[in-house]
Amino acid sequence: MKKYLGPLSKDNPILVQTLGVCSALAVTAQLKPAVVMAFSVTVVCACSNFIISLIRNTIPPRIRIIVQLLVVSFFVIMVDLLLQSFVYDVSKMLSVFVGLIITNCIIMGRLEAFALSHKPLPSLMDGVMNGLGYGLVLVVVAFFRELLGSGTLWNHQVVPDSWYAAGYLNNGLMILPPMALILIGVIIWAKNGVTER
Amino acid sequence: MKNYSNTYIFVYITVLVTVIAVVLTLVSTGLKPRRDRNKQAEKCQQILRAAGHDIDRSKAVAAFSNLAVPLTDDGRQYRVVCADGTEGVDIRLDGKGLWGPIWGYAVVSEDGQTLKGVAFDHKSETPGLGAKITEEAFLKSFEGKKLYDKDGKFVSVRVLKPGTASEIAEGNRVDAISGATLTSKGVDKMLEQLETISLSSPEGASAR
Repeated sequence: MKKYLGPLSKDNPILVQTLGVCSALAVTAQLKPAVVMAFSVTVVCACSNFIISLIRNTIPPRIRIIVQLLVVSFFVIMVDLLLQSFVYDVSKMLSVFVGLIITNCIIMGRLEAFALSHKPLPSLMDGVMNGLGYGLVLVVVAFFRELLGSGTLWNHQVVPDSWYAAGYLNNGLMILPPMALILIGVIIWAKNGVTER
Repeated sequence: MKNYSNTYIFVYITVLVTVIAVVLTLVSTGLKPRRDRNKQAEKCQQILRAAGHDIDRSKAVAAFSNLAVPLTDDGRQYRVVCADGTEGVDIRLDGKGLWGPIWGYAVVSEDGQTLKGVAFDHKSETPGLGAKITEEAFLKSFEGKKLYDKDGKFVSVRVLKPGTASEIAEGNRVDAISGATLTSKGVDKMLEQLETISLSSPEGASAR
């Protein structure tokens, strides 16, 4: 069990391997899309890890990247279709970013590094944990960006009106993409300070 | 490492692609009616939102058929009963955002002078920035704005950075979204379409 917990801390895909940073910039201006994105990536990562692991002994090594890409695309399109059909509001919120899950390096990275050489169930676990590790960072970044940038959380106002009346201003830089990069940098710094390398 | 023949590789990838294509096609076709229903309900909800009604999407289609009558065959103009009891003309707008298309519905009062309300939507604007054009606070700022200046000249409702272009009167402008300059400009540009349409709308309304 312990070896699967790595992605949540000491082997975090964003903080240690610096993968998937691109989408971490795009969807973290607000908490809600970040949570949905984290969930979608977890599902896609787990499912494609599982399938690739199942067929790993039949995949010709020369075309394995193509096969991986096909499987990942399949699950991403499935997730997109299901979101559009059953939770329309959520799909509206993520809009084009669902399609961009295909290009998230975490997923391809896990397929190459883990699923191709491990049994299906451990691969499934590995996918879930890496998805969650990615999601954890997304949620933390989105929490601060929404709170400090818009004064809201989950679209509910949390900074009281009296603060605004007293001259408090939302930090406009927080909602712009560069701030996500800076925040991730700060989190990496804090994490390296706490955990031993 | 096992050595795979070219034939194996070729057959392998063909089978895989075919299986995936068939499954995706089936799922997509199977879910299409549901997706279309969602889209239709959303359109009804947005038009009613522009007219000031706050209605849940599940009830929007039924409410829409009671409150709106099509003015044109292409589904771009409707005559709607607004929340305040008056009637207005709903006009579909199309424009460009930062990343992709934006569109919306504007309800203009019967004399064609005043904007009663708007609803906007977008394909791919950034969450927290351009995507804010769909939020209540931004939409609310359009209500009751004038399309003409005091000399009777068309100026549209401009979306401008606060403090700029002071020649545009308060009744003809709303504040742009900070951090989303290009999306705001897209909305500004899109509202210009009301010039041609709103001029013809009083006649369109009375011709009913």
